[in-house]
Amino acid sequence: MLAVPGSLFSSPRGGGGYRRGEVQATVPPVKLTDPEACAKGILGNRLKTSLILNPGSAVFVFLVGVSAVAQTMAHTQKQVKSEILASFAVRQALPSEADGWKTGREDQIFTRDDIFDYVDGGGEIYLAYDFQFVFVREYVREGAPSIVVEVYQMSSSEDAFGVFTHDPDGEDVDLGQGALYGAGLLRFWKDKVFVRLMADRETPEAKALIMGLAAGIVGAIPGEGPEPNLIGCLPKEGLKPKSLRYFHTLISLNAHFYLANVNILNLSPETRVAMARFERAGSQARVLLVEYPTVERAIDAERRFTEMFLIERFMADRKLPPKKLEDGKYAGLSRDGRHLVIVVEADKKPDLEWLMRSISRNLEGAKP
Amino acid sequence: MKKRRLARTVTRRDFIKGAAMGTLGMALYGKSGAAFGGPKNPAASFAAENPQSVAVLIRNEKAIGAGDKVDAAVVQDMVDTALKAFSGEADAAKAWAKYVRAEDTVGVKFTRCDWMRVHTDQAVIDAVVRRVGEAGVGKDRIHAQDGGLPLAKCTALISLPSVKVHTLTGIAVAMKNYINFSPAPSKYHAPATSLGEIFLLPDVKGKTRLIVVDFLRPYFGPGPQINPLHRWNYHGILVSNDPVAVDAVCLSICQAKRNLFKGEPWPITPPPDFIAAADTTYKLGTSDPAKIKLVKLGWDKDILI
Repeated sequence: MLAVPGSLFSSPRGGGGYRRGEVQATVPPVKLTDPEACAKGILGNRLKTSLILNPGSAVFVFLVGVSAVAQTMAHTQKQVKSEILASFAVRQALPSEADGWKTGREDQIFTRDDIFDYVDGGGEIYLAYDFQFVFVREYVREGAPSIVVEVYQMSSSEDAFGVFTHDPDGEDVDLGQGALYGAGLLRFWKDKVFVRLMADRETPEAKALIMGLAAGIVGAIPGEGPEPNLIGCLPKEGLKPKSLRYFHTLISLNAHFYLANVNILNLSPETRVAMARFERAGSQARVLLVEYPTVERAIDAERRFTEMFLIERFMADRKLPPKKLEDGKYAGLSRDGRHLVIVVEADKKPDLEWLMRSISRNLEGAKP
Repeated sequence: MKKRRLARTVTRRDFIKGAAMGTLGMALYGKSGAAFGGPKNPAASFAAENPQSVAVLIRNEKAIGAGDKVDAAVVQDMVDTALKAFSGEADAAKAWAKYVRAEDTVGVKFTRCDWMRVHTDQAVIDAVVRRVGEAGVGKDRIHAQDGGLPLAKCTALISLPSVKVHTLTGIAVAMKNYINFSPAPSKYHAPATSLGEIFLLPDVKGKTRLIVVDFLRPYFGPGPQINPLHRWNYHGILVSNDPVAVDAVCLSICQAKRNLFKGEPWPITPPPDFIAAADTTYKLGTSDPAKIKLVKLGWDKDILI
């Protein structure tokens, strides 16, 4: 039995690592043949002898087997989707008709396995988080813009928050745990869910419907989930809120800030990154706070950044002073156990040092 | 500690790139043969070996009306006018005849992306297909598609990309429009810079006669999914036969728009380094603004270049 729908909004708090495939893990194992039938010898020795004597038959049987596996997987995938659709609380909270709009195409579910069928060329951004599935519904009305509702189910509220930070443009709306609206597009997050509602074009009626549908979705999600702990370790003073990002992998880093064309920070699904820009008295800087699963990996990233970005010799016990780069700005790093604090694009050296100190203090305070 | 001395001022990115990539691409491809052709000289070398690439940018305020509705008649006129200027012919039919012959099998490669919604406008596709037909190419030999073009059959390709900033490649215009000619498109996502090699595939090389860019309603946001706040009505069509110059021009305009939107530098990221590589490694055209002759026609308000 599929475990996901029943536990959609009951988030185990904390954690927040990138754990792949809760949905897939609950899929029953594929059976090529019925074990009982095999035990009774129905396939029997005749087939075995035939396969040995005739390689062509063996190839045929192999292809039939592959086809059977593919069919079984497709069937299982379909079944998984049906079960999600049948028990998805958000879907049940959405009306089939509202203000003259009716549901258009059939409701759809896309999982990690087929997200590209929905966002071809863009699925990578969701797969960079622990995305589980997306529910898609369309509303249509003659002479009015169609409205698409997308509900992205993540495995943690941290990742729902992270996806929400991918694009910060829009006006703040008091909805869920954070919402933005602009030109017919509403995005918000609550607990483990990230939601997009978009009208083909903006009209007052379409906007009213979007807001109404969103309120229904928010109501169907009973709890709230925590933001990533890492965010709390960034100083509040000077933080530019719209610059805040939370992610795991290189693909997300590259989408927001291009450090290098190689993965010098050793980012992976297991790493957690909080990135933001700061401004104090007109002086700016960018901070990347990275949490690694082990101290060893943090040290390795420290070495790589020191050698490849700062172009300095790495010595494990030596604290490197901030370095002025070709563009006149400062860069530096410090490590605290599994955490690496990197400051780049700093206009002034004292600001860089202040950021390092503040984050270090916050990390210390966050320790149990 | 002794610091490394660099022969020239380089950025961090330059250094890391050099260390990581070396000159593998150069060694593999070097100076390839013609990646572009024309009806009179299909094997003629183009672009990087030419002293200058030409691109014609035409804009018309009336191309987009209320509710963002595109005016097909205005678009047809823009395409024809741009092509006349590009070809140097006063007559549209003669201009098209320079790039398409009656005996050609023509692949019109446009961009269709339902979820992203920034695809080539139908008015642009229709304008080009109409003129290709009028040049004498039979309907059965005009293949206007995004995916599944019969490349082996095509003797000529006309590329009709839309313009969008892209989370995985930096920008998606003429170079990226061919990405689905490859069986493994994702290998061209950043930090890869090898997008240009698609133009050298046997069924593609030397066939691109024209690039007609739908610059009517480009997208400058981070993507991957559209945020309508990041779409703007630019009212433009860009014509060239150099995909590298096309991408360089579009990159410059989109970057200017991003900076304008934020009121501060908002660099396109990942940086579309494939554009420079298409010039220097694959020799497909020129990315050097000094070598691009940009002819501007029509409406010039907020042209951004």
